[in-house]
Amino acid sequence: MSRLTEEPAQRQEIDHDEYDPIGTLALIGLYFLILAFLWVFMYFVEFLGNEPTVVGGFVTVVGVL
Amino acid sequence: MMTMSNAYIDDFPAEAKVIRAAFYSSFFALALGGVFGVIQTLHRTGYYRFIDSADYYTVLTAHGVFLVISFTIFFLVGIFTWAVTTSLDRGVEDLRFTWGWYGLMAIGITLSGVAILAGFTDATDISASVLFTFYAPLQGHPMFYLGLVLFVVGTWLAGVDWFRSWWAWKGENPDERIPLPTFMVLTTMLMWYIATLGVAAAILLFLLPWSLGWIETVNPLLTRTLFWFFGHPVVYFWLMPAYMMWYVLLPKVSGGKLFSDPLARVVFVLFLILSVPTGIHHQYLDPGIAEGFKFIAMTNTMFLLLPSLLTAFTVVASMEHGARQRGGTGYFGWLKALPWRDPVFTGMALAGLMFAAAGFSGMVNAGMNINYLVHNTFWVVGHFHLTVGTAVALTFMAVTYWFLPQVTGKALWSRSVALGQVVLWFVGMTFMSNAMHRAGLLGVPRRTAEPQYDGFEFEAAVGSIGELQAQIALGGILLTLSLVLFFANVIGTGLNGRSDDLPANEYAGTLSGPEDAPLVLDNLKLWTAIAIVLVIFAYTFPLLSIVDRGGLFGPELNPFPVSIESVTLLAFAVEHLAVGALESLSLPGLLEVIR
Repeated sequence: MSRLTEEPAQRQEIDHDEYDPIGTLALIGLYFLILAFLWVFMYFVEFLGNEPTVVGGFVTVVGVL
Repeated sequence: MMTMSNAYIDDFPAEAKVIRAAFYSSFFALALGGVFGVIQTLHRTGYYRFIDSADYYTVLTAHGVFLVISFTIFFLVGIFTWAVTTSLDRGVEDLRFTWGWYGLMAIGITLSGVAILAGFTDATDISASVLFTFYAPLQGHPMFYLGLVLFVVGTWLAGVDWFRSWWAWKGENPDERIPLPTFMVLTTMLMWYIATLGVAAAILLFLLPWSLGWIETVNPLLTRTLFWFFGHPVVYFWLMPAYMMWYVLLPKVSGGKLFSDPLARVVFVLFLILSVPTGIHHQYLDPGIAEGFKFIAMTNTMFLLLPSLLTAFTVVASMEHGARQRGGTGYFGWLKALPWRDPVFTGMALAGLMFAAAGFSGMVNAGMNINYLVHNTFWVVGHFHLTVGTAVALTFMAVTYWFLPQVTGKALWSRSVALGQVVLWFVGMTFMSNAMHRAGLLGVPRRTAEPQYDGFEFEAAVGSIGELQAQIALGGILLTLSLVLFFANVIGTGLNGRSDDLPANEYAGTLSGPEDAPLVLDNLKLWTAIAIVLVIFAYTFPLLSIVDRGGLFGPELNPFPVSIESVTLLAFAVEHLAVGALESLSLPGLLEVIR
């Protein structure tokens, strides 16, 4: 209770040469896929859903004001 | 198990007192800012409106200034003081100087805060409901600007304090690499010195004299541009301390080591170089700045994604190292081996996760063409509640659970409440920020007390405006509850007695240490010079063109000559004299050229 952070239950010591951050690659790869998907998805959300921006489209005008 | 405590307060009792003062100032601002936050959430969603809508903008100003100026900056000067003293293993050079800059910051923010809060009462004519960005022609009371100046000067002196420590240390350790936490503090402060030149110029040359009545007008585009010269890098002033926590504390609480010290240095150098020449990306829709200048700002901004993506890699790799040392396995299975019951870890990890989401909305903001779709909408508010409102604020709250015992010598009141608090913040922000982003896509404006219009309805392709408003209000309430839990823990800890059983004051070790980092990374003069050159490239022509078109003090003001006739007369007189002089020198060829 009085300890502020858990003493990490360390089971093994992994040094620089032994460590292969494959999980990081997996996680960052997943993030990249999400970003790429969102980037493509944005086209459908914005450009197909609205009139041309700035020069027309009431919704956008409200946004600009 | 230790019986003797080896906490920060045991080694640096006097410095711990300064850090405590900075933290408590920060938390006081957080409490005020939080109250104003929930008031405006309920007001603009229409759930509970007990203030006049005109006062909404005073509430909004207070929410913004108290949270992004006083809460964040008081907290970061606290952890920077910790970082320098701990990593150099020496106290500050002159404690009176340290208290001096703290005092200056406190006086400054009090003046600004009083000027803002006075806007609620008609008893005085003092007010400063100018929002965080204080765009002209919105004008605040001189006390508001003066307070900001004193506050910023306080942070400058704080930087001087940390540089003094480093210089003194370097004198005694000429061949050593700068310890990583100190390196991070110094690069951040160098960035801050460059960035604050913009706001200092905006206030001292224009807004303060204008507010005092010494000059009649200002050029609003010029003061806006100078504001954003500071206004974008200030987000890195909030973020870099949070990054520092992710680099030096998170690996340790994960049970591992920092993956790479050199990469961490590269990231901070990149922030020093790239933070400032990007501010114009907040002005994509400002008329009066040529598209080409905006394009340069966009390019610089996109480069800024680099240090953030480097951070994502390094920080995740450090966490994974901890998880593997704790027995984690598999591509994703290692995530289960992380200490999710530790509020310090969980708070920072969730803050990092939110920051990853903010990365996407930030890319949308940064793109010149796509920005037009979301500019000045609620989307932007959603974005910065993920960045400063979660990546920074949640990290700061999470590390408070580690720092508070270090600087008070008292055990944390409740780990369980702390864990609940950080999770509640994450959940509340998920509701609020997601709904804000979606509302922005529908064109719902930001900075509006009553975003509702006669004869017009926002149309949602999925869900409805009512559903979005409900999510925003619900999120706001959860965030307020989370703050209540946070303050319960801060107060409860303050009421505890001294503990002998606190963790030692240590930060994370490294897998790849400073010996692997090229020496040039520590060449602060070089990076500062490059940063200044980039700023000159990015800002000289936009500023000259703004002044050329709109005048230094605005288009209307012509102090001398006072009328059109006198201009013509004067021009005629000058030309006559010049022609006479040239003729007397008999230089007809040159005369033709001049004519």
